[in-house]
Amino acid sequence: MAEQRGTVGGPVLTEWFATKDLHKLDVYESLGGYSAARKVFKEMTAAQVIDEVKGSGLRGRGGADFPTATKWSFVPKDHPGPKYIVVNADESEPGSAKDRYLMENSPHMLVEGAMIASFAIGGHQAWIYIRGEYDLPYEMLRDAIAEAHAKGYLGEHPFGTDYPMDVRLYRGHGAYICGEETALLESLEGKRAQPRSRPPFPAVKGAWGMPTAVNNVETLSTVPWIIRHGGAEYAKRGTEKAKGTRMVTVSGDVQKPGNYEIEIGVTYRHVIEELAGGPYPGRTIKVFWPGGSSAKVLPGSMLDTSTDLDGLKALGTMGGSGGIIVMDDSHCVVKAAARLLRFYAFESCGKCTPCRVGGNWAVRTYERILAGEGSQIELGILERVSDGLQNGRCLCGLGDAAGWVIESTMRHFHDEYEEHSLHNVCSVEAALVNA
Amino acid sequence: MSTLSEHVLEEIRELPAKYPQPRSAVMPALDLAQEEAGYLTAEAMSEVAAALKLDPGYVEGVATFYTLFHLQPIGKHRFYVCTNLSCTLRGANDIVEHVKGAIGVHEAGELSKDGLFSYEEVECLGACEYAPVMRLDHRYEKDLTNQKIDSLIAQRRNPIPSPPRGEGQGEGRKPAAPPRRRTKKSG
Repeated sequence: MAEQRGTVGGPVLTEWFATKDLHKLDVYESLGGYSAARKVFKEMTAAQVIDEVKGSGLRGRGGADFPTATKWSFVPKDHPGPKYIVVNADESEPGSAKDRYLMENSPHMLVEGAMIASFAIGGHQAWIYIRGEYDLPYEMLRDAIAEAHAKGYLGEHPFGTDYPMDVRLYRGHGAYICGEETALLESLEGKRAQPRSRPPFPAVKGAWGMPTAVNNVETLSTVPWIIRHGGAEYAKRGTEKAKGTRMVTVSGDVQKPGNYEIEIGVTYRHVIEELAGGPYPGRTIKVFWPGGSSAKVLPGSMLDTSTDLDGLKALGTMGGSGGIIVMDDSHCVVKAAARLLRFYAFESCGKCTPCRVGGNWAVRTYERILAGEGSQIELGILERVSDGLQNGRCLCGLGDAAGWVIESTMRHFHDEYEEHSLHNVCSVEAALVNA
Repeated sequence: MSTLSEHVLEEIRELPAKYPQPRSAVMPALDLAQEEAGYLTAEAMSEVAAALKLDPGYVEGVATFYTLFHLQPIGKHRFYVCTNLSCTLRGANDIVEHVKGAIGVHEAGELSKDGLFSYEEVECLGACEYAPVMRLDHRYEKDLTNQKIDSLIAQRRNPIPSPPRGEGQGEGRKPAAPPRRRTKKSG
């Protein structure tokens, strides 16, 4: 287990969130907003920006946890045509709401981060792909971009330099798969959002065939702070290898669901019990998803697990997109898993066979089990389908995630699966009825 | 005679120039077409295709992939009720039942008698801390209760002009949790 270094500093992302009207440019700027972009555009080279972010240790917060500076450095420097930053604002992972929270509170923070990232890869245009359901964040970003244009921070001569910069918006239209970066790029190009085979990777051939870095909202929103305070200052926070702070969304059976900024390395007990108020009186936490519905579940007995990203990987799960879903002992794990499989089956783009077929097999099997028509055969099918979805058999991570839900809930709660499948009994419901 | 009005078609024809490649205009174009009629008819999709110089089958292929494009009439006010896990844990299924009863429909997609309402169950809306939530008229309605649903419906049946609501900015989660609901066991 990684060491916990405790809180060494204040918040990073939510530093200014108590300020009224932070979404307005003049308020944002009065606190120090756009000073990072100004410094980058006027005083720094692209290599210096990448070095500073590298020194911070920042890793992607969309779920894949990939070092941000490394991703930027993959974009070829000598490419003659356009290069793009594409912002993944298609937040759709069940349990995750933190990107919405960041955009609604501080849209300029994302615009500034996207500008800096574009500068770092030598691009002049950033595209924010935002999910269609996010009407309010879309409107706030649209207004923020217009303000930045009016002020001359975007346009031909940002901060008086000769480095043209634009940030554009593109609205999604309802498809979870667009959170997968190559599916997102397809969608941005006006196609059905089906993931691409890799290679080539987006850094070489991304949006409209051009070199592209796809970054998450939270990742880019962190960048201005890193430029203002230095990468070393950011790296003081977090654990030895997983630096900094991150946003988590706590939802489900807790008394104070919400978005919280945490220093990486605090325990889930701290997040769920201290920050989110813990379970309702008389209830105990049975299970939690540590990083969105796609992260393998951990039982309530493992609340002392660290939020350290590498520690979670060692446990076979992940910090993912930071969506912590908490379920107490009044809910049935089999029903929860069945609901999530319905989600993954529905959202499968249909391009690769294991995911298209496997998800529906799982859904039908869960339906039989919950209808009291289960047997040892159904449990066997679930195990085989789960295996068939994992380990690189699918084109993208959606299939794996579906498999992980089945596998991890079956591993930790085999008794509940057996009760349902073999005896048509739900002890959770029975307890509620008798209570 | 075309289904889409000339000014919408004109707007659609101007879209391709806004993107590095013209094909990216297909979704914004379908958006404009849908805004006009409330949903997308085969004719409207063909007209979009013609305006963008794309194959009609291609445009329909895009439209059918994404859940926010509707190929059937949807009613003036659509309840997009999230029933993914975080919302289900906090009573989303009861909310769906209440919506159905309140607008008088039996299934998703069905129009209410007055043509004003329809509902659908949707996947995670990304507002899990406010579960149960739904999207209605381009805004999120949060911490839903049956009473809240009733008043949202009443406001739309008897609309009174109201100033636009501000929400979201600097908004912190109130410590008090909403009242707990459970799916009631029958029998």
